[in-house]
Amino acid sequence: MPRDLVSGLFWLAVAIFAAVQGLSLKLGSLNRPGAGFFPFWGGVVLGLLSIVLVVSSRGRGAAGSSRSRPESSKPLVVVGALLGYLLLLETLGFVAVTFLFLLLLFRLERLTWAFSAVSAGVGALASYGLFQLWLKTQLPTGPFGF
Amino acid sequence: MEIFHGVLYGFQVALQPINLLYCFIGVFIGTLVGVLPGLGPAAAIALLLPSTFAASPVSAIIMLAGIYYGAMYGGSTTSILVNIPGEAAAVVTCLDGHAMARQGRAGAALGIAAFGSFIAGTLSVVALTFLAPFLARVTLRFGPPEYFALMVLGLTLLTYFARESTVKALMMAAVGLLCGTVGQDTISGRFRFTFGIRTLEDGLGLVPVIMGLFGISEVLLNLEQRQQQKEIFAPPTKGLLPTREDWRLSTTPILRGSVLGFLLGILPGAGAIIASFASYAVEKRASRHPERFGAGAIEGVAGPEAANNAAAGGAFIPLLTLGIPANAVMAILLGALMIHGLQPGPLLVTQAPDVFWGIITSMYIGNAMLLVLNLPLIPLWARLLRVPYATMYPLILLFCLIGAYSVGNNIGDGIVMWVFGIVGYLLKKFDYEGAPLILAMVIGPMMEEALRQSLILSTGSFGIFVSRPISGGFLLISALLLLLPMLRRSPGTG
Repeated sequence: MPRDLVSGLFWLAVAIFAAVQGLSLKLGSLNRPGAGFFPFWGGVVLGLLSIVLVVSSRGRGAAGSSRSRPESSKPLVVVGALLGYLLLLETLGFVAVTFLFLLLLFRLERLTWAFSAVSAGVGALASYGLFQLWLKTQLPTGPFGF
Repeated sequence: MEIFHGVLYGFQVALQPINLLYCFIGVFIGTLVGVLPGLGPAAAIALLLPSTFAASPVSAIIMLAGIYYGAMYGGSTTSILVNIPGEAAAVVTCLDGHAMARQGRAGAALGIAAFGSFIAGTLSVVALTFLAPFLARVTLRFGPPEYFALMVLGLTLLTYFARESTVKALMMAAVGLLCGTVGQDTISGRFRFTFGIRTLEDGLGLVPVIMGLFGISEVLLNLEQRQQQKEIFAPPTKGLLPTREDWRLSTTPILRGSVLGFLLGILPGAGAIIASFASYAVEKRASRHPERFGAGAIEGVAGPEAANNAAAGGAFIPLLTLGIPANAVMAILLGALMIHGLQPGPLLVTQAPDVFWGIITSMYIGNAMLLVLNLPLIPLWARLLRVPYATMYPLILLFCLIGAYSVGNNIGDGIVMWVFGIVGYLLKKFDYEGAPLILAMVIGPMMEEALRQSLILSTGSFGIFVSRPISGGFLLISALLLLLPMLRRSPGTG
């Protein structure tokens, strides 16, 4: 399937969703536009543009300028690691979760265990010092008090 | 005279030791960000925004602005030495800058890039000094219809300059407008697109969205490409001063680049990237030996490097006089001004003259600092470039995580960043650009308010937008810009 067709259909769905939401938020009248006025018309414009894209993609067939497919699963692992970091941050605390996060990514890059562990430790402590102690950012503390 | 007083006052503000320090930190970090590929000024400013909450508004904005124009200087170093653009606006510098490095003339290339940047940066700040107060006075008379029409024109220009398809750029602008409606409606108080999620009630945070779209997604894309160790030229320790012949060849390109860059910088969406490409094209066409371009022509470094710095100055004009950002970086600066309790726009010059003049004059100082800072530090930057990406990107990700969290001390903003990181990654895979989305998201709420106020003013008639000459003019230009490409493409017109 042409890539523009896929993305065009996706945005069309988003557009329909926005327009429907806009309708349920009340459009109001022209001299007193309501909360749904802008989302509705925004959705309509996006929908029309998506249709233009979908229609024009059909003529060109499947030969799209296909960019490289994922060569590795690295982006997926990183996306998972980021989510894990966010979900664990407030339970484990900043230093612990940062250490684990960096350790995982350094290991993903096939750095040795020893190097990864030391670097992750240094990274976690240094960023704690920089952000919590120096810049006074409020970072979450874990069960260990840091 | 008024301007003279303003500048004098501005220097009093900008020369305070604390502001000099912030300016220095800003341009230093900016250069660093410019040098490092994969971390642009937009993500960097978003990242550092929370750390300025404790500072005074003037100091904060001086530092954040310094990051922006500092990055324009730094980007050229990586382009010349490694043939990777350190920053998007330095892409063209790779062509002739790296070719010069191969010929053993890295010193001259780095030197002319720094001097050209300094000259153009300073010229554009001079132009900004004279134009901004004047424009602020003109735009003071703008009502909601003029603002609405102007923002329509801004979004149109943005899509006009799109590198990929216009339709896709328009779609991104529409998505951005919809993203801008998330949260509580200011007029009716109703919640829109919040799905009962607490974080979304104040709207999508600009900082997490930008860090996702420009920070996280960039790392994900880089991870996918096979890592190849690029050859890094040893930084020259001497010969950084361009020769008399270099200057003879470069003076006109620098001046042309300055004017071109400044003008393109003012336009929404055009900005530093387009300016550098345009300058390269102009210099190649104007040259008597266009075949030298790509093979180490110093004009091909001097012109674009001047243009991207001048554009950085020009971009401040719409922000300071209209309160409308011209690019993603200006959008965050707009957010920063508002977080510090200031309303950017025509009233800024009268309501917060210390901020208005302080920012402008700090740029003279910042540009001078960059010139002094840049050349001696080149060996340091070159060593930094040898740090492998494998150890660099986990830290970039970590900084993004901390930055997104510390905006509001909640996980929700981090999740927003995560989602937009994936969205940004997919957008690039499917050849969409992120910039129109960000700009439309920032302009969206202002645009909606202006539209609804205009309609209330006119009791529901769209005639108000065309009957008022200024707004009618803006809309006419927008319509022409949208229609022109279609006419050009239609059969028969060639």
